[in-house]
Amino acid sequence: MEMQEVLFYAIMAFTIFSAVIVAFANKLIHSAFALLFTFVGFAGLYIYLSADFLAVTQIIIYVGGILVLILFGVLMTQDIYDVKAIAAHNPLLLSLGGGAFTAIILAVLISKKPWFTLLNKEFEPTTATIGKLILYEYLLPFEIASILLLGALIGAVYLARAEDKDK
Amino acid sequence: MEPILKLFTELLPGLSPLLPYWLLATLSALIAALVLFGFIAVFALFAIWLERKISAHMQDRLGPMEVGGWHGWAQTIADTFKLLMKEDLIPEKADRFLFKLAPMIVFSVSIASFAVLPWSRDFIPTDLNVGLLYILSISSLAVIGILMGGWASNNKWSLYGAMRSVAQIVSYEIPISLSLITVILITGTLSMQGIVQSQQGNFLSWNIFHYFPFMFVAFVIYFIASLAEVNRTPFDLPEAESELVAGFHTEYSGMRFAFFFLAEYANMFIVSAIAATAFLGGWLPPFSFLDFIPGPFWFFGKSLFLVFVQMWLRWTLPRLRVDQLMYTSWKVLTPFSFVLILIVSFWQLLTL
Amino acid sequence: MREYFKNIYEAIVTILIGMGVTFRHLFVPSVTLQYPHEKLKLPERSRMKLFVNIDDCIGCRQCERACPVDCITIDTIKAGKDEDLGAASNGQKKRFHVTKFDIDMSLCCFCNLCTFPCPTECIYMTPEFDFATYDRNNLIFHFSNYTPEQVRELKEREAQQKAALANAKTGKKPEQK
Repeated sequence: MEMQEVLFYAIMAFTIFSAVIVAFANKLIHSAFALLFTFVGFAGLYIYLSADFLAVTQIIIYVGGILVLILFGVLMTQDIYDVKAIAAHNPLLLSLGGGAFTAIILAVLISKKPWFTLLNKEFEPTTATIGKLILYEYLLPFEIASILLLGALIGAVYLARAEDKDK
Repeated sequence: MEPILKLFTELLPGLSPLLPYWLLATLSALIAALVLFGFIAVFALFAIWLERKISAHMQDRLGPMEVGGWHGWAQTIADTFKLLMKEDLIPEKADRFLFKLAPMIVFSVSIASFAVLPWSRDFIPTDLNVGLLYILSISSLAVIGILMGGWASNNKWSLYGAMRSVAQIVSYEIPISLSLITVILITGTLSMQGIVQSQQGNFLSWNIFHYFPFMFVAFVIYFIASLAEVNRTPFDLPEAESELVAGFHTEYSGMRFAFFFLAEYANMFIVSAIAATAFLGGWLPPFSFLDFIPGPFWFFGKSLFLVFVQMWLRWTLPRLRVDQLMYTSWKVLTPFSFVLILIVSFWQLLTL
Repeated sequence: MREYFKNIYEAIVTILIGMGVTFRHLFVPSVTLQYPHEKLKLPERSRMKLFVNIDDCIGCRQCERACPVDCITIDTIKAGKDEDLGAASNGQKKRFHVTKFDIDMSLCCFCNLCTFPCPTECIYMTPEFDFATYDRNNLIFHFSNYTPEQVRELKEREAQQKAALANAKTGKKPEQK
């Protein structure tokens, strides 16, 4: 267990460090690329929670999908190299309030759950369980979510096609 | 991890009581990584030589003949030394940090994919129970590396190449995943070792001959999409020499270029190895009486055959246009693989 | 819809045909010539490296004059009165010692103009084509048989003869050695 703990703290440090870069990097593009390491670090943390399927899906969806989308957005923007990240422009009170609110929620959650016992839990595959839960117990929410996504897909296609019609 | 650890402790029996578990685990992981790195390097050397030879013979030429004696076998070794000794150039206006990081990401991603490839019954670096998904997810990381390299070079060609590469890989990941889902439907497991073991028997019980001809179509879809995934002709738009100089690695030279190159050949092997595992029975021999030949031979042989087919296609077909590329992915491969999923799951229901 | 499936069918079939072609060519013997080890045999009369059969040269210097790029340099010394240098293979009598016959192949333009005026046909072009060297000076080919000592001797003799001739003209007695 000794090495697992060392590895855990290494992954923690890695994730937090890259998250700090995401938040404080001067160049937007550096933030976007640092997000990659944050996501990978998160996947590592999921593995420590013995959520193997979630970890892998996290990488597929967040890195393969969302991060690529963000990067495309950033790269397609003109003069992106000159744009300074504008974290300092937020109203101070509002951001402090938001931060405090999140901190309180986190503190309550941490105090209620015995977090670190999870480390000693035996690793179990979760894929089959997730699949069964989705298709038996939570079938209706799952289908509703898929219909919502289908609607979003069709809407996106419609929006993308609309330009063609005008011409 | 466990099988390798076992191998390690059995090879060096005196070590296991002496050293603490964590050190042993780290050491065996390090050695496994080194072996994999050596394998990738040697395989890339061999594959580059093979590609040059195949391309030459398909064009009625001879290819490299001088270095090393027999049919120029040492040509790529000499080329590697040349690359190693080259000056390490970084464009003045490049983003230096990202420029250096990109080849590392691309290469480490392809090394990471080797972690779940099953070489034989016991020899698999780690038998993840989500192995197939793991490979799919890891390969999506390479996209970021390519985008990073293309963007950090501060060069129009590189950026175009990177953009094309990402658009292409993101599109072709869908037919790849969908065609592999048919395999998962049949085998009922995501673990690479489990997939291989479910194909036990002679070659007719391989997944490719399952539900004939539907799984064969799935294999073809996977193979075509995997070509696009590793940026090879006819899908080599990201590196299109005649249009984009060299695509995303235009500005790279010396060692960093070598890493991109190594990663490309390692990726060729990986997608072939996945195809061999998922469709061609992995390390299983084609006939059960050939059991005495060890698994790595069959696994490597099947993968190498698919690598050869990749090269064969490369020297047969010209490059696709961008719109043809997207047409192939979205209007042909994706619908076909959806239909295949439907057919396979329906067939499974019928024979339940 | 029919068009769509027809396209797919055609794509697959044509790719297979193409792969068949390339696979067949994989086993076709290559057309490559492994150059330094095996050379293409050129026709007998191709115009490559110049060659001088110095035994036949009578020192008439016509080739030197014909050369448009001055790549041929010839030095001759007249034979003595009682000296018989023999004859070229076609019967022409040799009257000169050819002490220097250099051809600079780095200058040569392979026009073949030098070979036509030669009365004994001793200069001609050979099919030998690979004479590349690391040093440009190695492209100057020396054809004369005379050693430097012989050349010096001949020159001294010529100088003496000239001096004798000059003395004879001025009326003095030639000095005897």
